[in-house]
Amino acid sequence: MSSPHASPRTAPPVRRFLPPGLLFALPFLVLFGVFMVWPLAQGLWMSLTDASFSAHAPAFVGLDNFTEAFGDAEMWRGLWHTVWFTLLSTVPLVLVALGMALLVHTGLPGQWVWRLAFFAPYLLPVGVVSLLWIWLYQPDLGLYNHLLRAVGLDGVAWLSDESVAMYAIVLATLWWTVGFNFLLFLAALQAVPDHLYEAAAIDGAGAWRRLWSITLPQLGRITAVVTVLQILASLKVFEQVYLLTKGGPDNSTRPILEYMYDVGFTGYRLGYASAISYIFFVLVLLASAVQIVALRRKEK
Amino acid sequence: MPASPPSSARSNGPGLSRRRMLTATAASAAALLGAGALSGCGSALAADDDTVRLWDLFSGADGGLLNTMVDEAAPDMPGTRIERTVLEWGTPYYTKLAMASAGGRGPDVAVSHMSRLAGYAPSGLLDPWDTSLLEEFGLGREDFTDAVWQRTQFEGRTYAVPLDTHPFIVFFHPGPTADAGLLTKDGTLDTDAFSSPDSFLEAGRELAKASGGQGIAFGYVTDTAQGWRLFYGLYRQTGGRFDLPEGGPAEVDEDRMAEVIAFMAKLVDGTVNPRQLDYASGIAAFTNRQTAMILSGEWELGTYRTADKDVGAAPFPTVFGTPAVYADAHSFVLPRKPDADPGHRRRTHQAVAALLKAGQTWATAGHIPSYGPVTRTKDYRALQPQAHYVQAQEHVVLDPAVWFAGAGSDFQNAMSQVLQQALLDGLAPDRAARAMVRRLNTFLSKPSPA
Repeated sequence: MSSPHASPRTAPPVRRFLPPGLLFALPFLVLFGVFMVWPLAQGLWMSLTDASFSAHAPAFVGLDNFTEAFGDAEMWRGLWHTVWFTLLSTVPLVLVALGMALLVHTGLPGQWVWRLAFFAPYLLPVGVVSLLWIWLYQPDLGLYNHLLRAVGLDGVAWLSDESVAMYAIVLATLWWTVGFNFLLFLAALQAVPDHLYEAAAIDGAGAWRRLWSITLPQLGRITAVVTVLQILASLKVFEQVYLLTKGGPDNSTRPILEYMYDVGFTGYRLGYASAISYIFFVLVLLASAVQIVALRRKEK
Repeated sequence: MPASPPSSARSNGPGLSRRRMLTATAASAAALLGAGALSGCGSALAADDDTVRLWDLFSGADGGLLNTMVDEAAPDMPGTRIERTVLEWGTPYYTKLAMASAGGRGPDVAVSHMSRLAGYAPSGLLDPWDTSLLEEFGLGREDFTDAVWQRTQFEGRTYAVPLDTHPFIVFFHPGPTADAGLLTKDGTLDTDAFSSPDSFLEAGRELAKASGGQGIAFGYVTDTAQGWRLFYGLYRQTGGRFDLPEGGPAEVDEDRMAEVIAFMAKLVDGTVNPRQLDYASGIAAFTNRQTAMILSGEWELGTYRTADKDVGAAPFPTVFGTPAVYADAHSFVLPRKPDADPGHRRRTHQAVAALLKAGQTWATAGHIPSYGPVTRTKDYRALQPQAHYVQAQEHVVLDPAVWFAGAGSDFQNAMSQVLQQALLDGLAPDRAARAMVRRLNTFLSKPSPA
């Protein structure tokens, strides 16, 4: 038959230049390449140069930026603030979320109100959250100092006292993002099979026994997931610190990402800022690797 | 086989159309990216020839005044239109300006604090002004004070055309200040009564008595510049050196720094002056008349006049012997343009000259116009209280001319933080001075981006 439509058999078989899967992935790969791989490579290259906002062409300086960074006390301080924030925030963000989910799940009346109330702050943009908390923390007019004074205590300089500011940021972050973890826990709670509870009830297990022996073990996997997500989210801390304290007082809350921003965008030293960002990148990579290994082991 | 679903392996149609679809998708993605790139170029080049594009950081009342000035300048620049882009003042403004200039895609002209010039001109981010062109449009060297002009220079070329000086001065309520016996007969501040640390503090006590509340307000807590503004003006009054050679170490007089810090701490120790004021509550304390005086930037004049239409002002008194008033200056700069069109550059020079000549309008906000012919007019001398502090521009000191200093810089913040510890948390003055020097040396040890 001469018509090309007549027989499917004569259609050119698979003789493509590219495998079909690649073609389907192409739109993504293009974006991934342009917005992830290329900037990553460019950033790595930049970290080896003295690039800056200037009319002069950047020159290759080898590992000078990294040597400088390792000897830079402010860099280590920023790194520590990021780690400290992660430690301070991850624990309550997991435990409080779990507690809230358990409370709601035990069947408080008006479940949807609780669900909404706990989750709603998460929907607010960081700018709104920060403005709100700046007012709550305001030393003279703020709610917290008002309450403290009402019971006869001295007001606290929440955001301008070096020994308090980080905790104040953690508290605001807790209020803001705990809803997301809460939701994950709640979903997991609702997925615990009822027959386990029925069997336990028949065996005469009380509420506490059921919590310890069924609910919490069943939540093991989601707890691991929530913790991993939370650590990664906390390591990325920048916006709320920048908006609440600008990293202050006296840089005592400045996370590594803000230091990188300050060095690069207000100090104009792009090369050095890139080096700092790569040092941080390696840290995050390590944290992720440790967690992946730990999770795998848990699954086995 | 009725039930067999069509599959691309068997039928030609879907196979072709899928391929076509993919091609189309890829093509449209490419088109999208291409369009983005093209429109990016387009906006950079699209400016009409008769338009001078200006970036500035004046919003609020200042922004309105600049609009008026643009209108007033029109007769002096026939056929030229100024198109303003107002960006928010703050550190990011300079990031944007540097970024645009580095890429050669900045506006035709931009407003910059003169204190930032040291970080810009050596980096090649700015093009120099053509002084003969400026002269042609009526702006000569002699129209500016030495203290201001000297800061526009870098390697023998002029990189900034000063629009105004905005010094850090004192404002006072005339009523209680007169009651305290601190006004001269013609209603100006009796600066002799403030001419030493002790007499300054004594004047504060008198002001407190007269106001029935407290004496002198100064808002600095958590502020990123206020502490530094007061300190550096006072320090330069001591005549102490403040040399910052590249690479360091800083050559400064720690004893005099400590002396100034000790005075500042006494000034805000809470006995006659309020102790713990941030910027906003400092303003509130003064406008609510809890204090009779405030140490403040002149740019808050509008705020004070709303509260007290007779508010008085004076240059910052000379407390430590040598007259010096901390200030900064708004100036016009030319962001780098590798392929600037000479005709358009000429137009830009003309537009800036026209704006400067409309400086009388600018002065109503409180800023001291840098263009001499404006401040010498009768109209200007009639402006109260502006005319009372115009002489401040004879003795202005700007931030040290190093790349990391200047308005909105991390440096000002770092210095202010140490000062806050001394003023608020009881850090001893000599230790505070040493801490400031340590931080200075850290800044100096960093390589300049130029």
